[in-house]
Amino acid sequence: MRNILLIFRRDYLGYVKAWGFWLSLAAVPFFMIIGGSLAGFAAQSSPVRYYAVVEPGSTLYADAIEAEFQRREEADRETASELAAQMDMTDQASAQIASSQADRKFIRVPAPADTIDGLRPYLLGEKTVSGPVGDKPLFAALVLSPEKDELEYWSDDVNVTQLRYLTEDAMLRLARREALKDAGLGEDFLQTVDDSAFKVPAKRIRPVAEQSEAGADVTMADRAPMFVAGGLAYFLWLMVFSIIQYLLMGTIEERSNKIFDTLLTSVKLPQLLAGKLLAVFAVTSTMMISWGLFAFVGASVIASQVPGTGSLIAPFLSALANPTIIVPGLISFLLGYVMYGVIFMALGSLCDTIQEAQTLLSPMMILLMLPMFAIFIAFQDPGSPIVDIASWIPFFTPFLLILRMPQDPPMWEILAQMGIMAATTALVLWGATKVYRAGAVHGAGIGDMGSALKRMIGLKGKAA
Amino acid sequence: MPVSPLVLSSVTKRFGHFTAVDNLSMEVPEGQIIGFLGPNGAGKSTSLRMALGVMPPDDGHVELFGRAPGIEALKRVGFLPEERGLYKKMTARDTITHFARLKGLSANDARARADELLQATGLDEFSRARISKLSKGMAQKVQILSTLAHRPDFLILDEPFSGLDPVNQQALEDLIRAEHDRGATILFSTHVMEHAERLCDRIIMMARGRKVLDGTLAEAFSTLGQGARITVEPGFDMAAALANTGFDATRIADEAHGDTWRIELPRGREAQDALRAALEAGAPIRGFAPDEARLRDVFVSLVGEADAEALAASEAAEGEAA
Repeated sequence: MRNILLIFRRDYLGYVKAWGFWLSLAAVPFFMIIGGSLAGFAAQSSPVRYYAVVEPGSTLYADAIEAEFQRREEADRETASELAAQMDMTDQASAQIASSQADRKFIRVPAPADTIDGLRPYLLGEKTVSGPVGDKPLFAALVLSPEKDELEYWSDDVNVTQLRYLTEDAMLRLARREALKDAGLGEDFLQTVDDSAFKVPAKRIRPVAEQSEAGADVTMADRAPMFVAGGLAYFLWLMVFSIIQYLLMGTIEERSNKIFDTLLTSVKLPQLLAGKLLAVFAVTSTMMISWGLFAFVGASVIASQVPGTGSLIAPFLSALANPTIIVPGLISFLLGYVMYGVIFMALGSLCDTIQEAQTLLSPMMILLMLPMFAIFIAFQDPGSPIVDIASWIPFFTPFLLILRMPQDPPMWEILAQMGIMAATTALVLWGATKVYRAGAVHGAGIGDMGSALKRMIGLKGKAA
Repeated sequence: MPVSPLVLSSVTKRFGHFTAVDNLSMEVPEGQIIGFLGPNGAGKSTSLRMALGVMPPDDGHVELFGRAPGIEALKRVGFLPEERGLYKKMTARDTITHFARLKGLSANDARARADELLQATGLDEFSRARISKLSKGMAQKVQILSTLAHRPDFLILDEPFSGLDPVNQQALEDLIRAEHDRGATILFSTHVMEHAERLCDRIIMMARGRKVLDGTLAEAFSTLGQGARITVEPGFDMAAALANTGFDATRIADEAHGDTWRIELPRGREAQDALRAALEAGAPIRGFAPDEARLRDVFVSLVGEADAEALAASEAAEGEAA
């Protein structure tokens, strides 16, 4: 154990003393802050824009556009209220969320001219129009065509399309309303029909961990276990993905520096592998925990500012504390990490240079994309037969077993899949140790994989 | 009865169809300095790696301090591999400390020992420097110090002089003698025979995976026929002059100031007898020297010209590297 810890200590300090580690550590929070700030800034700084509708002697289309603006704002408020209700927020918090909807960014002003030629200087910014937020150029003008069959959209900025699409929706609703009127039906006929349709509320079939009884409406507490399982599976995938370079490069360094002989006269090969695997695990864990702490602090700050965040987090914490999810999750996590980790380490021991290692990276990435697809499918439909079958394939099991746990699969399946996963991990560990020995001691390279395989099954390989 | 640090019994190692080490038996008794000699490719490094348990033999068995090589026995061993290598980003002090701790020293003892060794070898001002910043010679010194840091009972040094300049080679010889005086048993491999001549109690010679000699220096030299060198005026036929005296003469150099002849000494006769015979035969002598036996000559006489050329190639490569 002492030797494992010494190898672990050296490797761990070797990684964390490198500039790259600190850059990686700082990069995620840094870009999260920058990204968040930019997104917030973009939302806040989006300018208020003026538009005008030219429809001589009428406000029919202008009113239809205004009605569409109001309809969308009301829909946004309802969505926010529903989300607040799902998160069991207080009425006060819900009201605060509803009132925190962004202000309207498009404001109608009277048209300064009746023709497009007259409007052109306003649209090109050569002249301004007065409005609620001061004098500004006209962002867009909606002009009824001479044939009165189109509402032409004129603007110097063709990339900002919200107003145009909103106007299209407004015209669609206006046409429907006119058609209903012609048919002798009221304006709100379709809405009345929609409202009278049967609702399909999701009901809880079983109580959710001390939170609510069966038969109640489905809330976030019901969905949180799946999110947590998905998060764990993705975290494992991310961990495995991140260790590739550490394990490959670390082993290549030792091979190219010719340290193996010195090491192997001081520690046993399994101790060396365990120490190195532990070090890389600790390095990636340090990163993930640091990022997690950053997210926790950030979430705490947000929770203190935004009402209802505590209610949002509670079901996830509850799911995380659920032993039926977390225990198999942790076992899968550890076995999966060891299984993939030793494979990469063994392959690294066959490489002399980074260039050689890079030739291995592509197949490794493909190998790793397969579990990612499996995670995606399982997250969408955990009961899918594909997921059921794939979860018996040991290289997918660590990810998929975690994702299946919220579905409460039969206990025999859980135990059998864990058993197969453990046996496969042991087999991979055995094989990887052999390959590692072939690479480290006998100097086998990628081209000697055949020899290495022969060595694994007891035949002889390349000369030292 | 003291247990020998190392015993190899009928050890063989094959790689595919190539036999790297063939039925090698050898013993390293406690307290000796033993030279393990032979050209590159003779099987020395493979034998040492088997001795340390880094790779298992195909046949035969290895005993390190009376048992199969294992981590406990290896804690008493300091090993300097032929292919040098250290962690380039570690400092000199951390490197020595790390390897000393792997051999069982506590953190404090390992650090203190690292400081002591760095100071003793004049490297203390570089103790905080990364290995990548040190010269090749300095890095090599650090590796040698890492090998010695835990005060091993048995030092196995694979080509320790390789890559060192003459000054550092001398320093390493002194270090080996100091370790021997401390009580360590030392086995070192080399293809440079002069080091072995100066340092060893015993030598083991290898060629093409087989042991060709195992004995003291005196025993090694006794395998050579004795001789003398006589330089005479150009054109004098020494072979004809000594024809009836029982000495065989062979001209080995033909230079402006005279011809040098090597005189083979029959058993029981000495160089002075050859000189006297030459004088009596009227040889116009310009120079005389008894043969100075060298291990290289022993090697040549034992393994033949092909392996001698391999040895010469190894030495030439070594000279260029240094």
